[in-house]
Amino acid sequence: MTPLVVVLNVTLCFAGFAALALSLDRHHREALAGRVPAGRVLPLRAAGWALLALSLAGAVAWEGLNFGPVQWIGALTGGALLVVLVLSYRPAWLRPAALLALPLGLAVVPAILLAFAH
Amino acid sequence: MPRPGPRAVSARTAPTPAYRAAVLGRVLLAALGGYAVAALATGLFALVLPMPRSEAVTTATLLSFAVMVAVVVAVFAARSLARAAALVLGLAAPLAGGLWLAGAFAG
Amino acid sequence: MRQGFRHAMAWLHAWSGLVVGWVLFAVFVTGTASFYRAGITQWMRPELVAIEADPGRAADLGAAYLRRQMPDAMGWFIALPTPEKPAISVMWWKSMEGPFHEALLDPATGEPTRARETRGGDFLYRFHYELSMPPTLGRWIVGACTLVMLVALISGIVTHRRIFADFFTFRRGAKSAQRGWLDAHNVAGVLGLPFHLMIAYTGLTLLATLYMPWGVRTAYKGDEIRYFVEAGLMPELRWTAGRPGTLAPLGPIVAAAMARGGEVPEGLSVWNPGDVNAAVVAIFEEPHGLSHHHAQIAFDGQTGAVLGTNGAVGPATGTGTVMAGLHMGHFAGPVLRLLLVLCGLMGAATVATGLVLWAVARAPKGAAPAGFGLLLVRALNLGTIAGLPAGIAAYFLANRLLPVGLSERASFEVGAFFGVWVLVALYAVLRPGPRAWTQALGLVGALYLAVPPVAALTGGLSQPGGALRFLGFDLWMLALGLGFVFAARKAAARAGAPLRRPVRGMTGEEALRA
Repeated sequence: MTPLVVVLNVTLCFAGFAALALSLDRHHREALAGRVPAGRVLPLRAAGWALLALSLAGAVAWEGLNFGPVQWIGALTGGALLVVLVLSYRPAWLRPAALLALPLGLAVVPAILLAFAH
Repeated sequence: MPRPGPRAVSARTAPTPAYRAAVLGRVLLAALGGYAVAALATGLFALVLPMPRSEAVTTATLLSFAVMVAVVVAVFAARSLARAAALVLGLAAPLAGGLWLAGAFAG
Repeated sequence: MRQGFRHAMAWLHAWSGLVVGWVLFAVFVTGTASFYRAGITQWMRPELVAIEADPGRAADLGAAYLRRQMPDAMGWFIALPTPEKPAISVMWWKSMEGPFHEALLDPATGEPTRARETRGGDFLYRFHYELSMPPTLGRWIVGACTLVMLVALISGIVTHRRIFADFFTFRRGAKSAQRGWLDAHNVAGVLGLPFHLMIAYTGLTLLATLYMPWGVRTAYKGDEIRYFVEAGLMPELRWTAGRPGTLAPLGPIVAAAMARGGEVPEGLSVWNPGDVNAAVVAIFEEPHGLSHHHAQIAFDGQTGAVLGTNGAVGPATGTGTVMAGLHMGHFAGPVLRLLLVLCGLMGAATVATGLVLWAVARAPKGAAPAGFGLLLVRALNLGTIAGLPAGIAAYFLANRLLPVGLSERASFEVGAFFGVWVLVALYAVLRPGPRAWTQALGLVGALYLAVPPVAALTGGLSQPGGALRFLGFDLWMLALGLGFVFAARKAAARAGAPLRRPVRGMTGEEALRA
């Protein structure tokens, strides 16, 4: 089940970092053209931090206080690295990829629950 | 770092002997002084921390590297070599005094 | 004043990073490989296949062999066979100063195995903290470099205070080479920062009593054993009595250890096996968790009676064992291990890009000739960044290409490692210039890509387990090979005409700045 939790962690971190990147003018311009609309900055930042926090919560809930944070920090690095790669090579894919990562991350939750039920 | 700032050197002007001496002084002070302060702090805290003997030794030893890093950074950040030396001495002297009071030099 | 402090830190970062960079690169690369130490050893000894072995009998076979080698040893160590390492590995020594002898025994016969002689992943692991030098010297050099790395990290954070705003910025299309290298250095450094800080600090604390023995010196008058016993890191042992004794059979001791410890011990250490005060210590795998703390039970070597166990550890010592555990990553399953390896590679990349950046930033403008210092840095950069990976690939290739029965085989493998490294470094000295990077990186890529086919052609197809037995290893070799080929192509693009075509994905703002 650990691989499933890692998938959850990395996808949530990726989506979170993508939201944070899109809240910055420079990256918004690359990924979506134009500056960040005025009303978007706060929601994007809130969503970004919330997703990172959610990832930590998931890691601690299923891996414990011992492994959870360690795994989460690894996932932070992995998720941020993915954002950097997408932004560098396919910036237009950032938003779709983040929107895809979210349901993918949530989709493994039932699988994790099932695995722990056994 | 040393006053003939980093720009002056990277811009291909040959470093002056004085600059070289100042750099060498800081490197030696950071390495030897940093280690001395960390070693004295470890020896002292291992004796005086209010916990079982083995725990005090572990705590002091684990923290020693943070002490040394902090001293090294401070030595290179100080405005002059003299100030850096004063800082190292100012830390080392009370630690050594504490060790002496704690009886570590009694043999 | 703030400006002055940042300047000082920028200077400190650039120079401290340069001075230790080459050693740190080697430490990072071999340390990252050590996360796969067991897997590498398995690959390098393809003759060994998992078999069912009785742990008690294995212990007795090991003891029988050791009795023939050194009955009056100060210590023996017998590692019991596991599925990953299906052989009995034994060590013996006369004094703690060494030399430490070792051998690998067949669990069926108790005789040295017929598997090819190799140091396997252990060579890279030892190199990681001893650099193939006399152990104490190597450990001090690596420790000093690690401390300087911590200093470089702290001063780097201060220098690049904008890194957290520039978090995701990697201007791969940047016109100025310096800008591109700086971005790469920042991305690899910042994204891996938690790992870099953790691995540097825990690396120091792993050998803390070597580097900083002064706490043990003042509180224990230098009696390190007493400290380890009181801290709960090892059970109390007995001194030799100086009278010859007979060591009890180890089989029943293993059985008793399994009954008391609940699992098969990882290995047994036997202290003063020929003395009436002989002691046998059963050492168990660390329990599931981050902590690197092995439960141990000590037995009387004559009677087999339990002498004692190592006690519980307190909060501080527990913190220390968790730090050791984090550094070694034994706790990590395959996925987490992959993340650790990626972090390690990012550490190596941080060092490598930093070294290149140092040289690029100081390149003479226009036609001015490069000074001796710069030429030296450039040669060392290429010699290390391409030379060390080439050496590791050659180490793997030598493992398959050297005749299995060759005497001193393991030393020839190590010779291949250093030989190829030195050759690449010499090439960097003799043929400086932009093409050298392309050629050297291309060579490294080719060496890694050659490993799987060479392994297949030198008996890999007929080995037990078939062609796919080492699929993971083969995939890593392919990935590394392709990575280096990719890097070589990038270097070629740089060496040729500077990129003039607008790079895809570059925004107007960047085009303006570039």
